[in-house]
Amino acid sequence: MGSNPAKAGFVILLVMIVMAFLAPLIAPYDPHQQSTAALLAPSVSHLLGTNHVGQDIWSQLVFGARTSLLVGFGVGVLATLLGTIFGVSAALIGGLYERIVMRLVDAFIVIPMVIVIILVAAYVKPGILMFIVLLALLSWQGGARIIWAQALSHQEREYVAAARSFGAGKLYLAWRHIVPALGPLLLVDFIYGIRRAVFMEAGLAFLGISDPTMVSWGMMMRDALSFSYLPVWQWWLLPTGIALSLTIVGLTFIGYAVEPIIDPRLRGAEVA
Amino acid sequence: MFSRRNIITYVIALAFILALNFLLPRMMPGDPLTAIYGEEALVAMTPQLKSELVERFALDQPIWRQFGAYVLALFQGRLGYSYYYNAPVLSVVLGRLPWTLLLVGTALVLSTILGIVLGIESGWRRGSGTDRTMLAGLMTLNGFPDFFVGMVLLIIFGVTWGVFPLAGALTPYSGLTGWAAVLDVIKHLMLPVAALTLAHLSGGYLLTRNTMITVLKEPYILTARAKGLSQGALKYRHAGRNSMLPVVTHTGIWAGRVVTGALFVELVFAYPGVGYLAYEAMMARDYPIIQGLFLVVAVAVLAINFLVELSYTTLDPRVRQVSRAY
Repeated sequence: MGSNPAKAGFVILLVMIVMAFLAPLIAPYDPHQQSTAALLAPSVSHLLGTNHVGQDIWSQLVFGARTSLLVGFGVGVLATLLGTIFGVSAALIGGLYERIVMRLVDAFIVIPMVIVIILVAAYVKPGILMFIVLLALLSWQGGARIIWAQALSHQEREYVAAARSFGAGKLYLAWRHIVPALGPLLLVDFIYGIRRAVFMEAGLAFLGISDPTMVSWGMMMRDALSFSYLPVWQWWLLPTGIALSLTIVGLTFIGYAVEPIIDPRLRGAEVA
Repeated sequence: MFSRRNIITYVIALAFILALNFLLPRMMPGDPLTAIYGEEALVAMTPQLKSELVERFALDQPIWRQFGAYVLALFQGRLGYSYYYNAPVLSVVLGRLPWTLLLVGTALVLSTILGIVLGIESGWRRGSGTDRTMLAGLMTLNGFPDFFVGMVLLIIFGVTWGVFPLAGALTPYSGLTGWAAVLDVIKHLMLPVAALTLAHLSGGYLLTRNTMITVLKEPYILTARAKGLSQGALKYRHAGRNSMLPVVTHTGIWAGRVVTGALFVELVFAYPGVGYLAYEAMMARDYPIIQGLFLVVAVAVLAINFLVELSYTTLDPRVRQVSRAY
């Protein structure tokens, strides 16, 4: 993991995490606070100027990191957890249960996630928590398939057979042997899960699907786009888009550095 | 041959899509007709029309009868009526679909070809400066969301330089015909396609590069080299061709992603495809359109995946054995 891109990735992610945690300290204004000073150019009091309703863009950018990472980590944890539970249990229990789970997993991999969320969001205004759950429910399947395949191969190995011959139960096997052995794989699944969620959150907010109480980079870009004929894009659209892109690039670099440790077949994991 | 496992997968996916589309509006609190048609449509409706709709959707019947009526209507091609566009949903969606297909198809072909060529060149020079620059550059590009790439292109080429049109797929009321009209379409297509192609280039590139590196270690490459074949023949005919297969197998999955990307990019360029329609319908709370769109796009993505899987089992006989193995 000592490669340069991986280091760069870690630094970027660290900066974003610090920004998200210390947002109220870093941001000079309340990101929601509107004022009559709309569409101001950058100045000392407003580092990146103000938007169409007079909100401080820099403060919004800082708080946007919070939303992005909250959704990212939330979905990452939940999706990896679901993928591990279903992938490992399918491999260990086998039989009809395994066939049903894997068939469902395959089916969900081919369903386009964004379209499902657009439909759901049209009826239910999702708050941030529901948004996280929804994204996780629709995106754990790709990871589960790879975890399942790896769990199967570990199950065949001698150390598991040895543990079994000493009378280890399935739950004990899963928890003490298989899951720890899958560690690095789960890490990659987690990182790509975060990346996908950060991207999805921004994209959907750009389409107008977001929690109105949270500041989102996608929403900021959507607002900025409607003023693209003014020079405001230089301090409104660009910094926001770059913050979002950097976060995703950072995660990609970290993921790519961890990936070859495990399995080249993993390249399929980042899809959908 | 296509395995039964695959067919079951697609049947489940389709069933989920139908069930979600059917259940979601009917699970909402309040009048299901409001959820199916939207508030505004109902205000303008006469009591007769209302009772007619209740009967058509079998809303006064048990839920399984309603589902039966719903599926029956679908098979007859009746996706509902949009009161916002004042037209049947199917004709509104089908009117927009060609633009999205043009956009997605062009971007998919371009990004795949470009990805393969760059991957072959990069893998051939593995470890060199060119390879490392290309790898880092494309991985960075991979992190740029397609809609942001689109906005940057829009501002540079559309707003600042004014070389390409800012929005739409045609110049309105231009009355162009023949080649002038084709040129006009291409001009409007240019920026959205560039955004999608750039954003989705890295998948094919990374895959080809990695395969290329493994393929170059094969003994038959050494043989070809020993025969004194030219660099170009070695690179493209021997190594390159064999590095392309995994890319083909992934095209189906990418197609799904490019369609998703097109939804975002269309909004940036106000390109009149299904993505922009989805946005308009969401803003107008036009439920029939959203439901119809969901169905058409989901089924289209499933169909693309299905066709790609079908094609590569015939393309690469090895895949057949793998799919039988588990």
